Amino acid sequence: MLKRLYRWLDLRIGVGEIVEKELTGYLLPRNINEWYSLGSVLLVIFALQVITGMLLMIYYVPDADKAFKSVTFIMNEVPYGWLIRLCHAVGSNMMVAVLILHMLSTLLMGSYKAPRELNWVTGFTLLALVQGISLTGYLAPWSQLSFWATTVATNSASAVPVVGPYLVEFLRGGKLVGPPTLGRFFALHAAVLPVVIAAVIGAHLFLLKRTGISAPPFGREGTANPFEAQQYHYQGHPGGIPFFPNYVLQDLTSISIYFAVFLAVVFFWPGMPFTPDAFVPADPFKTPAHIKPEWYFLANYQTLKIFPSELLGLSVQAAAMTFLALLPFIDRSPERHPLKRPVFLTLVIAGILLWIALSVWGHLS
Amino acid sequence: MENEGRRKFLGVCVAGATAAAAVAAGYPVFRYLAPKSGQGGAAKLVIPVGELKEGDAKFFEFAGSSAVLIKTKSGELVALSAVCTHLGCIVQWVKEKQQFLCPCHGGQFSTDGTVLGGPPPRPLAKIPLTVTEGNITIG
Ligand code: FES
Repeated sequence: MLKRLYRWLDLRIGVGEIVEKELTGYLLPRNINEWYSLGSVLLVIFALQVITGMLLMIYYVPDADKAFKSVTFIMNEVPYGWLIRLCHAVGSNMMVAVLILHMLSTLLMGSYKAPRELNWVTGFTLLALVQGISLTGYLAPWSQLSFWATTVATNSASAVPVVGPYLVEFLRGGKLVGPPTLGRFFALHAAVLPVVIAAVIGAHLFLLKRTGISAPPFGREGTANPFEAQQYHYQGHPGGIPFFPNYVLQDLTSISIYFAVFLAVVFFWPGMPFTPDAFVPADPFKTPAHIKPEWYFLANYQTLKIFPSELLGLSVQAAAMTFLALLPFIDRSPERHPLKRPVFLTLVIAGILLWIALSVWGHLS
Repeated sequence: MENEGRRKFLGVCVAGATAAAAVAAGYPVFRYLAPKSGQGGAAKLVIPVGELKEGDAKFFEFAGSSAVLIKTKSGELVALSAVCTHLGCIVQWVKEKQQFLCPCHGGQFSTDGTVLGGPPPRPLAKIPLTVTEGNITIG
């Protein structure tokens, strides 16, 4: 039955050729490892966020007077509403976490180097967009937590010289966070950013396909054919392992492991995405104590606090982000094995430790 | 041969597990989307008699659907479903003619719901009502 359907399609649109080219004939380096499957995991996470987001939109009302009620209704009244909402909230955290892992593995294996600079840049853009979609979605439930976290986050833009105060007002759609903020954040979160993210993902995959997948700098004997900046050529891996079925199996394994972790959090740690302030409706006249951003913004938040001037704190962050975004253009040696790059490795580890330290500090302070 | 059998067995296991996972994920989504039963207001409604003049009609929500209460010129009270039996539009009350007109395809109904003309195949459904001490209880 399936075979006949396949043949029917093949006769008409030549699926066989596509399968041959993109799946069975798409050869990957022999020494490819598990870390290369994180991109597929991220695609699944993104798809799940889109689906749960669409489902939530059925009952959610993006109106300051009704938002909190509608979310409570989803959580308490709608059958399995809690499940859909938790999947969306936990999923957003997971998306950031896996994205960080994906970037770290790219970083350590030196896959961002020529000719893959653009892959890194689009990936970095995706990180920024995912942070943006998380931030705008955070306001949606219109709880004390959402309201004040957004107040704090938008406030940091005021440190920008000259246009700062105007920028904050522009972001909020008013002097303070209020109903207009919810309107624009919701539009960004549910309409603009998902489309932009999908488009950048498309570009990211397109680049991956054009350049060819990178070979890890270690493991079994490599199939690398070094890049020479003479002329465009697809970096293939003759004699490599086929994407289908070999690497698909690895992708599925990683996705299953991801789901195990994800569902464990959803079912056994449902409070993860929330603090007690998440269960109190927003009150613009009462700032709760200890309002803090999400874990992935804690380092930024702490950096802003430790510098005497906000402008300085903001500039340091901007500099660090720009440096990371442009890394492939700064770090241009062809060597990719981390152990043969001691300075680089030390810097990466120091950077990670600094980030963790700042986050913990931000959490505790 | 043995390999073939093992392959088949594994295939069945994978298919079964996939089906189970699909059901486990699909059921909550279905329940989430399914409309709630018993939603849409009380199945009983009390309207004071004084609210309705002779020859008038009053539309209201009843058990999640639309209904209408009329007081005929002779003072008789009738409660009917306001949903046209043709394709489900909501009928309108034409006071001058003392009958219902469906705006969609011109179905006409009398005060007791019988079809006077147009495409509707069945009369409007009657809703029982009782009158006690100046109150009309519907349902
Ligand atoms: S729906 Fe009323 S006449 Fe067609």
